[in-house]
Amino acid sequence: MTQQIIVNSRTIDILAVLMLITTIILIGTSRLRTCIWAYACRSFMLTLASGLIAYFSGIHHIYITTGISLALKVIVIPGFLFYIVKKINIKKEVESYINYTLSLILACGIILIAYYSTQNIIQFENTFMRHCLPIALSITLLGFFVMISRKQAITHILGLITMEDGMFFAALSTSYGMPLIVELGLFFDILVSVIIMGIYVYRIKESFDTIDTDSLRELRE
Amino acid sequence: MIILLLLIVPVITAIACVFTKKHGISKYISIAGSFIALVYNIYLNYNIYTYKTLQGFNYFFYVDALTILTTQIVTIVAFAAALYSAGYMEVELHDCRISEKKLQWYYFLMHMFIFTMLLVCVINNLGVMWVAIEGTTLATTFLVGFYNKKQHQEAAWKYIILCTVGITLALFGVILTYHSAKGVLGEIGYALNWSDLRTVADKFEPHLMKLAFLFILVGYGTKAGLAPMHTWLPDAHSQAPSPISALFSGVLINCSMYGIIRYHILTSKCVGSDYSCTLLMIFGLVSVIVSIPFILVQKDYKRLLAFSSVEHIGFIALGIGFGGMYSVYGAELHTFNHAVTKSLLFFCAGNLFLKYKTTEMENIKGVIKTLPVTGTILAIGVFAITGTPPFNIFVSEFLVLADGFHSGNLFTIVFTCILIVCITLIFVGFIYNMYRMIFGTPTGDVPKGETSKFTIAAMLFLLFFVLIISFYVPPLLREVLRNIYDIVRNA
Repeated sequence: MTQQIIVNSRTIDILAVLMLITTIILIGTSRLRTCIWAYACRSFMLTLASGLIAYFSGIHHIYITTGISLALKVIVIPGFLFYIVKKINIKKEVESYINYTLSLILACGIILIAYYSTQNIIQFENTFMRHCLPIALSITLLGFFVMISRKQAITHILGLITMEDGMFFAALSTSYGMPLIVELGLFFDILVSVIIMGIYVYRIKESFDTIDTDSLRELRE
Repeated sequence: MIILLLLIVPVITAIACVFTKKHGISKYISIAGSFIALVYNIYLNYNIYTYKTLQGFNYFFYVDALTILTTQIVTIVAFAAALYSAGYMEVELHDCRISEKKLQWYYFLMHMFIFTMLLVCVINNLGVMWVAIEGTTLATTFLVGFYNKKQHQEAAWKYIILCTVGITLALFGVILTYHSAKGVLGEIGYALNWSDLRTVADKFEPHLMKLAFLFILVGYGTKAGLAPMHTWLPDAHSQAPSPISALFSGVLINCSMYGIIRYHILTSKCVGSDYSCTLLMIFGLVSVIVSIPFILVQKDYKRLLAFSSVEHIGFIALGIGFGGMYSVYGAELHTFNHAVTKSLLFFCAGNLFLKYKTTEMENIKGVIKTLPVTGTILAIGVFAITGTPPFNIFVSEFLVLADGFHSGNLFTIVFTCILIVCITLIFVGFIYNMYRMIFGTPTGDVPKGETSKFTIAAMLFLLFFVLIISFYVPPLLREVLRNIYDIVRNA
């Protein structure tokens, strides 16, 4: 039993590290389509991890959330984002306030902070999935970093759903996910918010002729 | 079951409105729906008066005094907003600024917004409460960008991005709470039910609970408009149609504050009240201070009111943070007072906008001569919101400030002194800005006379609450406020 838990925990650790790598791709790349692909890959790994946890822990409701997450995060949301990118015909690549080399160095710093700050919490944890919480927190903070360092509205959406992925993974690794009703509500909220944001990206493009959020300067004191 | 009815009413109203093409009919459906909710909530209030708590569907819903105060505010302001919308939108329709097709969605979203706010209050599960708070953001984004010009789109974009990020941070707080509750309650579905968590909160891991409260305060605080996370608030409040601004300022920020108070109770029980009270006091005072410069030099009257909301939500946080009997009582009374007074002022602002078609204060002069009723109510509202005696806000502010001095804690007394200076400065800013607008000789060729009877009715309805609380707190409300103190304190 103990042996099995260690093996399982290793598999999930590997998936977690892969998720972290895809998040770093999001930061290091300038092509918008690559970013969306990176998001889809990460969501797929998250789904895989959640499926494995459902299998090993024997908690059945995690299968349901795994299924929904597969449909929503791997297929629907990336598909919708590709549709938006195509529809508004973005020619410019992702623009950043900070250049990519510096972004990557800062990302390393963020991961270190996440590891350092969760050390206190981990003392109270069981050894199962010891690395998952810091990685979940890193993904969340990296998503936050993407939101504040990038200029384009559509990258803000990507940052936001990255944060939500991180939260989802945190819930999974600390307490085998939230109760089913909460998870369902969460998925609903994510889906609706991404759709509304997509609509607004489109409208902003229509009236400002750009999706650079720097140009949103109508409302100032 | 009786709690479920309260939630069904706005949903039915919303669906009925979306299928009604004529504004002449849908406005009455909207008014009737919110009136039923209002009356029904008073009935629930009497139940709470007798039984203290109610629950439904095996503790899926849980209603106590804290809930009933918030739902009472929601239903009162919602009824006023429905009444006001009827008049406001009629004029907008007449001026061809919006189409009847868009109005169907306006009423639908407005009642769904009311539904999500009521859901936040009556739900027992803290996870579903999170979902509902996020739901309020989603229901209102299109209302903020309703007129769909550049500035409205910008406000809506800022609103949804900032609020969703904030709420996502709060989710981490929910996860941590769930994690620590699971350690005590074990593998069961109701490990997020507030009524259960409350009984075992003292066994939680203190370190986790502290971290959770911090995330909750920042996350829900974004939605509540606590500084420095308030930057979406002035834009969204000023760009939304006036009835929606009233709902925003009056009740939405109180709903988020309600979420914070729920966690405040759990955290106080776990790690002692000092930690969360101090955090609430600091965030509250920062909010009050941050709003001062913007109120003093403001040019736009709707933004002026929005920054005043930042100030008042800060004041409520401070009152809860002081933690004494009179300050908690005062803070909750302040919640009620602020909701009715601020909504009243946003209604006045809406009438000004309909008449003058501008939100710049320097273009408006002599409101009291051009719009006699709106002008008079605006003058009363301005004096009330700045805490001038004998109005209602003065009563609640006085209670909180008096308790701040009475606490004997040096830290609290220093905070109270700073607070008094801040309130005085805000009073000066408000009167200076509004005086020139309300009095003075009218310029230009704006015709005299009020725009709509519905808007006046809505304003008189709220004015009634402003005046009655100024002189007399009804026993029903007094009992509710006293029970809230027991809930917050007894922990």
